Amino acid sequence: MILSRRRFLGAGATLAGAGMAGVPTRRASSAARQAHTQTSPSALPPIELIALNRMAYGPRPGDVARVQQMGFTAYVDEQLNPNDADDALCNEKIANARLQIKYSAGMGYPAVDEMRPLRTIVENWGLAQLWPLSKNPAYQERIRPVEEVRAATLLRAVYSKWQLREVLVEFWHNHFNVDAYSDSRISATWTLYDRDVIRRHCLGNFRNMLRDVAKSIAMAFYLDNAFSRDGPANENYARELFELHTLGQENYLNHLYNRWRDVPGALTGNPVGYIDQDVYEAARAFTGWTIAHGQTVSGNIRLPDTGEFAYVDLWHDNAQKRVLAFEIDPNRPPLEDGETVIRLVSEHPGTARSICRKLCRRLLADDPPASLVNALASVWLANKDAPDQIARTVRALLLSDEFRNTFGRKVKRPYEVVVSFLRATNADVTPNSNLFWQLQEMGYRMFNWGPPTGHPEESAAWLSTNGMLRRWNIINQLQSNWLGAATFDLPGQTPAGLTSRQIVEFWIARLLAIAPPQSTVDRLVNLMRQNGSADAPPTGSAEEIADRIRSVVTLIAMTPEFQLR
Amino acid sequence: MTLSRRNFVVGCSAAIAAMTGGAVSGLAFAQPNDTTRRDILIVVFLRGGCDGLSLVAPVNDPFYRGARGELRVEESGQNAGLLFGNQIPGADFRLHPRATPLLSLYINRSLAIVHACGLTNGTRSHFEAMDYMEGGIPEGGVPANGWLGRYLNGINASGYLPAVAAGTRVPFSMIGFNGAAALTDPSSFSLSWNSWRYRTQLNEALDSFYTGDSPVHQAGRTTLTTIARINERLPRDAQGKVIPYKPENGVVYPGGRGASLGNALRTVASLIKMDVGLLAATVDYGGWDTHEGQGWIFPELVAGLSEALYAFYNDLWRYHDRLTVVVMSEFGRRLKANRSGGTDHGHGNVMLVLGEGIRGGKMYGVWPGLATEQLDNGVDLAITTDYRAVLAEILVKRGGYPAVDQVFPGFRGSQLGLAYSPGETIERPNRVNLPLVTR
Repeated sequence: MILSRRRFLGAGATLAGAGMAGVPTRRASSAARQAHTQTSPSALPPIELIALNRMAYGPRPGDVARVQQMGFTAYVDEQLNPNDADDALCNEKIANARLQIKYSAGMGYPAVDEMRPLRTIVENWGLAQLWPLSKNPAYQERIRPVEEVRAATLLRAVYSKWQLREVLVEFWHNHFNVDAYSDSRISATWTLYDRDVIRRHCLGNFRNMLRDVAKSIAMAFYLDNAFSRDGPANENYARELFELHTLGQENYLNHLYNRWRDVPGALTGNPVGYIDQDVYEAARAFTGWTIAHGQTVSGNIRLPDTGEFAYVDLWHDNAQKRVLAFEIDPNRPPLEDGETVIRLVSEHPGTARSICRKLCRRLLADDPPASLVNALASVWLANKDAPDQIARTVRALLLSDEFRNTFGRKVKRPYEVVVSFLRATNADVTPNSNLFWQLQEMGYRMFNWGPPTGHPEESAAWLSTNGMLRRWNIINQLQSNWLGAATFDLPGQTPAGLTSRQIVEFWIARLLAIAPPQSTVDRLVNLMRQNGSADAPPTGSAEEIADRIRSVVTLIAMTPEFQLR
Repeated sequence: MTLSRRNFVVGCSAAIAAMTGGAVSGLAFAQPNDTTRRDILIVVFLRGGCDGLSLVAPVNDPFYRGARGELRVEESGQNAGLLFGNQIPGADFRLHPRATPLLSLYINRSLAIVHACGLTNGTRSHFEAMDYMEGGIPEGGVPANGWLGRYLNGINASGYLPAVAAGTRVPFSMIGFNGAAALTDPSSFSLSWNSWRYRTQLNEALDSFYTGDSPVHQAGRTTLTTIARINERLPRDAQGKVIPYKPENGVVYPGGRGASLGNALRTVASLIKMDVGLLAATVDYGGWDTHEGQGWIFPELVAGLSEALYAFYNDLWRYHDRLTVVVMSEFGRRLKANRSGGTDHGHGNVMLVLGEGIRGGKMYGVWPGLATEQLDNGVDLAITTDYRAVLAEILVKRGGYPAVDQVFPGFRGSQLGLAYSPGETIERPNRVNLPLVTR
C-alpha cells in the first residue's frame, strides 16, 4: 500500500499554528483538539501494524506475521495475560546482562570497577536486602537498584514478548511519577516500587494500586508524606493525589468555588470535582502515614530503621474531616482516614474519565473523542472492585473502533524512537549509562523526571529543535556503537540477491508503518544504487554496499514517518 | 568502514558546511528589517513555587516571625538577611543571606524588586498556575499559545534566530511563535552522520524529507534551519574548529545547585554574542517546591540563582543597554510553615527585573500585610500587583511593543514605572566588574 503524504498527514496540518516547537503543559492546545479527525480508512496501515506500534514498542522481525496469524483479538487477549515463564529471550537477556559499576575509593570503602549482573532483579531482592543500600557510603551503590531497573526496563521493552505490559508499565511509572534519584532511600529500594507496585498492578485494580503507591517508600519520600504530621500537615502528597493521580486538573474547580458545599453535587454527596478544601482535609487524613527509617517519634521512642511502612498515631490528626463531601468521623481506627480518602478518589467518576482519557492519549491520540472516553469510564467504574479492572478497561480501548480506525496521531517519544529502532533492526542491546544520558539530553529522563507530572504525553512537547536533532543523531550514534549500547548487523539481515529497490523496500517494511512518499523512496533507492540500476543488485565493494545499507536504514529512521505511531 | 571519533567530528563540520547552502535557501525567516530598538528579553522561570517570603523577607513582621519559626530570615544573628535601601513601606525587608550577588546588582541600580505580585487566579496547582501564567491569561481556558509567543508574533520577530529556549524543549510561554528553537549547547548543535562516504547525499535526502506542513515536517524544517544558522555563526579557528565559549569579565558561572541555571544562561550569553538576532530567551530553574527540608535546600537554590544572574550580567557587560531579565515563579508559598520543615503552595510572590533600562535599586509594589485578615484565603500573602503589570510595562518600554492587549487580552492594569522608556535618560550604572558586596 502506497500512501500519499497528504492523505496520512493531512489532519495534522492544522496543528502547525499551535506551535510545533513543544508544549510542556499537560493540556493539549485547542488547535490540537480540533486536529483529531478520523483518518480515512484507506490510508490506514493493517491492524497488525497499528497494534504493534501502539500496544508494543514497534514490531520485531516476525511479529507482524505472528499477529496476522493469530488474529488481532487473540493477540490483545494474549497480551492482557502476561506470563513471565513464557518469555525466554527476555529472561535470558536479563539473566546475562552485565552493567558496569565504577567508583573510586572513599572513606571506608575501596574503589570498584566491575561488570555486575542485575542482581536486585535476577535474585529478586526484598526490602531486607535493599534498605541497607540506602546507607551505603558509595553513591553508585545507593543508586545501583535504579540503574539495574533502568537496564532491565530497556531490555524488556526491546525483547519481552509481553509488550503491552511494558507499555503500561511505562504509562503507570509516568502516572505515578517518582524521581528515583531524588533520595537514596528511594533509589536503593527502586526494585520494589517497580516490581511490587507498578508491575504488580499495571493490569490490576486501580484502588489497590493507589493504596500500594501511597504506602510505598518511593512515593512517601518523593511527595514528603513520610514527614507529614498534624499541625499543619504537609500537603504535597494530598495535592498531587487529586491533581495527578486521580481526579486530575480537569476536575479541580478551585477557580469556581471557595466552599465545599458550593461544588455541584456536594450536598447530595456527589461533588463533581474538588477544591483546595478537599486537599487540606485529605492531607490531614494522611498524617502519620510514614516509612520507618529510625526517626524519633517522641522522647526516646524511635521507629525501627527498616524501610517498612508505618503508621504513627501520635502524628495523626484524628479530628473529623470532610473529603469530597464525605464526612469522616473523629477518632477512627489507624489508617482508616487515609484508606477512606483512597476509596473516595479512586471511585470518583472524574477519576475514571481522567485516567481513561490519559490511557487513550497514550495508546491512541492526543485528543480522543469524548464518546470513547465516556465508554471506557463506564467499564472502569463497573469494574471498580474487579481484580483486573485496568485490563478490562484497556481491552475495551484496544478493541474500540477508534483504535482500529486511526493512526499516526502520536509522535514517538525519544525512548520509543530508540526502542522501536532497536526492535526493527534486531539489534543486540547492552544497556549502559551512555544511552540513558543521550535519552536525557532528548528530554526523556527515565525514573529521573523531577516534577510529579511525569513526562509530557502530548506529541507537540517532543518536537523541539533540540528533540528533532537528537532523534536524528541518536540513530547514527546507536549504529556507530559510540554509545556501546547496541550492535547491529544490517547487511547480514538483508536477504541476498535483492535489487537496490528491493533492499530499500525490505527495510521500509521493517521500519515504517506509514508508507513514505515516492520522493523519499526515490532518494533511498538512489542512495542504494549509486551509479547502478535500481532494478539490479547494488554494485561496488562489499564495504561500500554495507555502508549504503546502513545509510538507507539510518535515513528511514530519520523520516517523518518513523516518528509517528 | 570504521571511523575514529576524531574523523567523525571533523566530518560533521564539513557535512554541515556542505548542507548550509541547501538549508538556508529555504529560509523560514526573512532577514531582519525591523528597525525598532528592542531589548533582548530573558525570562527566568523558577519552577515549583519560589518562597518569596524567604527571598525578600519581611523580617520584623510579627506574623511572619510567628508563622515561620526556624525557617524565617532574621534581622540579626546567623541567619540575618541582607539590608537594602529604597523599600516599600509596611515592613523591614531583607534579602536572603545567600543572595549577596543580588544585593550587588541592587546597589548598582541594575535590579528592581517587586513584592506581593503574581497570578490573581486562586489556583494552588503548579501546573495550572504555570499554564495560566505562561498563557498570559489569569482565568480558566488555557489559550493555544503563550504570552512570549504572541509578543514575538506581534513584533514580527524576524531575526536569524529570534527566540531560543535554553533547554531540551520550548516552554509554553513561547509556544505560538514558529521560529522558537530549543537547544542546550550551540557548539554541538549539528548532525552526526555515521557515514563519511555518503554524507552529502544523506544531508540532501534528510533535507528533502521535511518539506510538508504537518507538525513533524515543520519541526524538522525549523531544526534544519537552526542547525545551519548556528553553525554559520559559531566562531571557528583557522582550521574550522569551533572555538569554545569563554565568558568575559573573568566571569565564572556557578556549579552546584546553580549549575543548571548557570549553564543555560551561559548558552544564552554565547548566542547573544554570536549576533543571531536574539530577541527573547527562556530559561527554567527548578527545585523550588520546598514542602520539606526547606532550611537546607532553599539557601542553595538562592545562592545558585544569585550567582548565575550575577555571572550572566557581568559576562554580558557590553550588552547591558539591550538586556532585560525577568525572574518569576508560578506562586509563592504558605505563610505558615508545615510540621515537616517546609512550606506548602501559597499565593503572592516576588518578581525580579534586571537591566540597564530598569530603574533598579528600588523596590516596587504595595505591601498588603500578613495579619490573617490581610492574607489571601486567610493563609497566604495577598497579591496587590498583577504579574502582567510588570511584563506589560517591559513589553511597552523595553520591547517597543505598545499593543499589550494582544499579548495579555483583557489586561487593564497600570504600570509600576520600573522601566525607562525609549529616549529617557538612563542613569547609567556600572558595567564592568560590579563589586561583589560582602556583608
